[in-house]
Amino acid sequence: MSSESSKKRKPKVIRSDGAPAEGKRNRSDTEQEGKYYSEEAEVDLRDPGRDYELYKYTCQELQRLMAEIQDLKSRGGKDVAVEIEDRRIQSCVHFMTLKKLNRLAHIRLKKGRDQTHEAKQKVDAYHLQLQNLLYEVMHLQKEITKCLEFKSKHEEIDLVSLEEFYKEAPPDISKAEVTMGDPHQQTLARLDWELEQRKRLAEKYRECLSNKEKILKEIEVKKEYLSSLQPRLNSIMQASLPVQEYLFMPFDQAHKQYETARHLPPPLYVLFVQATAYGQACDKTLSVAIEGSVDEAKALFKPPEDSQDDESDSDAEEEQTTKRRRPTLGVQLDDKRKEMLKRHPLSVMLDLKCKDDSVLHLTFYYLMNLNIMTVKAKVTTATELITPISAGDLLSPDSVLSCLYPGDHGKKTPNPANQYQFDKVGILTLRDYVLDLGHPYLWVQKLGGLHFPKEQPQHTVIADHSLSASHMETTMKLLKTRVQSRLALHKQFASLEHGIVPVTSDCQYLFPAKVVSRLVKWVTIAHEDYMELHFTKDIVEAGLAEDTNLYYMALVERGTAKLQAAVVLNPGYSSIPPVFQLCLNWKGEKTNSNDDNIRAMESEVNVCYKELCGPRPSHQLLTNQLQRLCVLLDVYLETDSHDDSVEGPKEFPQEKMCLRLFRGPSRMKPFKYNHPQGFFSHR
Amino acid sequence: MERAVPHAIPLGQMEVFQALQRLHMTIFSQSVSPCGKFLAAGNNYGQIAIFSLSAALSSEAKEESKKPVVTFQAHDGPVYSMVSTDRHLLSAGDGEVKAWLWAEILKKGCKELWRRQPPYRTSLEVPEINALLLVPKENSLILAGGDCQLHTMDLETGAFTRALRGHTDYIHCLALRERSPEVLSGGEDGAVRLWDLRTAKEVQTIEVYKHEECSRPHNGRWIGCLATDSDWMVCGGGPALTLWHLRSSTPTTIFPMRAPQKHVTFYQDLVLTAAGNSCRVDVFTNLGYRAFSLSF
Repeated sequence: MSSESSKKRKPKVIRSDGAPAEGKRNRSDTEQEGKYYSEEAEVDLRDPGRDYELYKYTCQELQRLMAEIQDLKSRGGKDVAVEIEDRRIQSCVHFMTLKKLNRLAHIRLKKGRDQTHEAKQKVDAYHLQLQNLLYEVMHLQKEITKCLEFKSKHEEIDLVSLEEFYKEAPPDISKAEVTMGDPHQQTLARLDWELEQRKRLAEKYRECLSNKEKILKEIEVKKEYLSSLQPRLNSIMQASLPVQEYLFMPFDQAHKQYETARHLPPPLYVLFVQATAYGQACDKTLSVAIEGSVDEAKALFKPPEDSQDDESDSDAEEEQTTKRRRPTLGVQLDDKRKEMLKRHPLSVMLDLKCKDDSVLHLTFYYLMNLNIMTVKAKVTTATELITPISAGDLLSPDSVLSCLYPGDHGKKTPNPANQYQFDKVGILTLRDYVLDLGHPYLWVQKLGGLHFPKEQPQHTVIADHSLSASHMETTMKLLKTRVQSRLALHKQFASLEHGIVPVTSDCQYLFPAKVVSRLVKWVTIAHEDYMELHFTKDIVEAGLAEDTNLYYMALVERGTAKLQAAVVLNPGYSSIPPVFQLCLNWKGEKTNSNDDNIRAMESEVNVCYKELCGPRPSHQLLTNQLQRLCVLLDVYLETDSHDDSVEGPKEFPQEKMCLRLFRGPSRMKPFKYNHPQGFFSHR
Repeated sequence: MERAVPHAIPLGQMEVFQALQRLHMTIFSQSVSPCGKFLAAGNNYGQIAIFSLSAALSSEAKEESKKPVVTFQAHDGPVYSMVSTDRHLLSAGDGEVKAWLWAEILKKGCKELWRRQPPYRTSLEVPEINALLLVPKENSLILAGGDCQLHTMDLETGAFTRALRGHTDYIHCLALRERSPEVLSGGEDGAVRLWDLRTAKEVQTIEVYKHEECSRPHNGRWIGCLATDSDWMVCGGGPALTLWHLRSSTPTTIFPMRAPQKHVTFYQDLVLTAAGNSCRVDVFTNLGYRAFSLSF
C-alpha cells in the first residue's frame, strides 16, 4: 500500500510544477480522504533544520552501512549474506528516508515558491492599483488644469469699464452692495448690463432702418416731381422767347452757342469755355462766338459701321479713279498735304474791343491731324485809317501779333511730332501755309490748353483747362496793349512822314522850348538793308537785329549837318525800347566807332529810354526818342569846339545854356537836359 | 535760307536792356590788386567789377573765368580813376573818392570803408575827379578834376591839406616826379604845370599848344595824358604826343601819331602809348622811332 501510494505520489512529486499536479493531488486528496495523510501538512509540522540533521545522519548511516557491506563483502562468509541482507534492508530504509526527505525538500521548495509567487502577485496587484490611481490622478490633474484654463465666452465680450458700469447701470442691475464684494456676481451683473445695452441698441438700429426707408421713399417722390418739371420749364422757355428778344436778353442765344460748343474739338472747347468765363468775370469788352458748320463737325464723328461703309465705298471710288485717271505723284502728294493740314469745320471768334473803339478780331482754328491751333487776326478801327507808307506792316494781319511773347514768331509748328508727319508728305515747314491757315503761336496753344513740352515729348497731348485759365488774363492784356500801341504808332508814323515829331503836351517838359534840328525823312527799310549798313554792326553782333523786328531810317538835319538814324523796332514795343544807331555827316563822317560823343548820343536814347517813356501806356516812347535826338544834335553842333586855325564864324552859335562844355577824360558834351531850369549838364 | 543769328534765345525786356547797356559801356579806369591776382575795373555807369586774373589767365580758363567775380554799384556817376594802395582800392568819379578794402571787396554787399569829398568852391554842379595819384613818401593822395585844382589828402587822417590852384580849365591827368617831390598836371587849358609839394607852389608851366611843332589846332589844345621819368616828360592829347626835356622845357621828339592820345607810360627805355579812338598800342623808343605796335 505504501509503495502504491508512494508510486502514485512519486509521479506527483516529480511533476512538481504547480497546477496540474496540484489538481491531481486535489483529486487524489479527495479520493483518499480517509486513509490519506498530507505530506504538505507534514512539511509545515517538521522542522527543516532537524530534517537537515536527519539527512546528514541518514547519509552517514548509509555510508556506514555501505562500508559495512563492503567489509562484509570483502570478508565473505555465510552469515555475511544475512548481515548484508540486514544491512541492505537497513540501507533501503535509509534510502526511503532519503527519498522522503527529498520529497519534503521538494515540497518545501514548492511551498516557498508558491508563497513567493503569491506575495509577488499581491505586490503586482498593488502596483497595478497604484499605477491606476496615479493615472487617475494625472487625468484628474489635467482635467483640473483644463477647467482652470477654461475661458468662458463671456470674457471675450468687451465689457464697459468698472467705473462706467457703476455709473451708468441702473441699480437693479448693478446691485452694488452685492457685486462689490463678489466678483462672480459682479461679472454677472456686468453681463446683464451688457445685454441690456445691446438690446437697446438693436432697438435703435431697427428704428433707424425704418427711418431710412421712409426718407428714401420721400426722395423718390421728389425726384419724380423734379423730372416732371423739366418738360414744363422747356415749354416756359419756348414761350418766353419773344419776351427775350423784346428785352434784348439773348439767353437762348447763349444756350444755342453752348449747344454748338459741344461739337467743338477739345482745344477749341477749352478756349471757348475759358474765354467766355473770362469775358463774363473780368472783361466786358471780350465777346466770344462760334462760327462754322455744325453739320460738318457732326459728320466727322459718324458711328463706326457707317464709316466703315464709307471707307469701303471711298476705297472703291479711289480704285476706280486711279484706274481711270492715274493722277501724278505731285497731285497725290498735294491731296495728302491738304488732308494733313485740314482744319476743323468749326472755329472760335474772339472780339476784343479797345478803349478807342477799335476792335481786334481773332479767329481760332484747329488743325485736326496736327493737333495744333492757329489764329488769324484783323484790326478794325472806328474810323477809316489812312495808312502811311511806312506803317504798312504795323497792322497787317500777318505781323500784328508777331512776338506777343518774346520769341513767339508763329512761323514754326509748336508740336514736335508734326515734323515726322511733314516728312511723309513733303512739307518743309508750316511757314509756307501760314497765310492761309493762320499762325500757330505758342500762346494760342496755351489758350487751348495744349502744352508741348520740349524735354519729354508726349504721345497724345490733351487739352487742359487750367493751362488755358492761367494764361488767359495775361494774353488778353498783352493783345490789347499790342493793338493799342500799334494804332498809336500808326498815327505817329503818319505825322512823322510829314516831318513833324508829334510830342504830346505832357511830354513837353522833357525837351527845351526851342529845337532847331528837324526830322526830314522817315521811311521803312528792309531787314537785309539794315544789316548791310556800316554803322549798325554792333547791334547786329549783339543779336538785337532779328528778322521779326521792323526797321526804319530817320534823317535829321540842321544846316549842313545830316544825321542818319537807323531804328530797330521790336514787336514788343513799347515795353522793349526801339534801338537807334547814328551816323553824322558834318565835317566828315562820325559814327560811334570814331566819335565818343555820337556814342554818348546813342546812349542817351537807347539806354536812358525810361525817362522818355512818358505817361503809361508809354506810347510816346518813339516820338520822344526822336525829339531827344533832335535836341542832342543841336547840343552837339552848338558845343563844337571852335577851331582857331579855320577862319570864319562858327556855323552854329551856342544858344543852349551849358554849365560846362567838356567833362571827364572822354571830354563829353553836355547832353542831359535839366527841367525846369533849362540848362544842359553831364550825366 | 536765313542768315545765322548770333543767339536764338528770345530777348525779353531785361535782356535787351542789358545788351544795350553793355554796348554803351565805357571802362574808364582799372587797378590791379596788391597781390596781383585781381583786376578792378570802373565804368561809366558807376559800377566796379572785380575780375580774377589768375583764373582768366590760367590754362583751364573757361568763358565764366572771364566774367567778373563780383560787380557792385560804387558811385552815382562814372568811375573816372582808381588806384590801389597795399590794402585799399581807391576809386573816384563824381566828386567823391571812396576807399574799399581789397580783403573785403569780393564779398557781396561790400561797403566802402570811407568816402571823402574835397572842399569845392562851386555848389551848382559837383565837379568830377579825373585823376588820382598816390604819393608814397608822404602817404597822401592827390585828386584832380573838374574844379581845376589839385587837392592833397592825407591818407592817415583823411584831411585835405592843400589845394593847388593855377589851371584855368579842368585837369585831365597827373604824374609824379619822384626825385624832387613834384607833381605834374595836364589839363583842358592846354598847359602842363609842375607843382612842388613841399612849398605848394607852381614851379613850372609848359603851354604845349603854343609850340608850333606839336600843336594841332583842329584837335584842340587839351592835354589828355602825361608820363614822366624825372628828367623827361611825355604828354599828348589835342597836340601831338611829344617828349619834353623838363629842365629846359623844350620839346625834343614829336611822335608821329594822328589820333589824340589818351594814355601814355614810360617803360624802361620805351614809351608805350594808346589812343582812345584806335585799336593800337604803339611802342616807341625815346628817340622817336616806332618800334612796333600791339593791336587789338
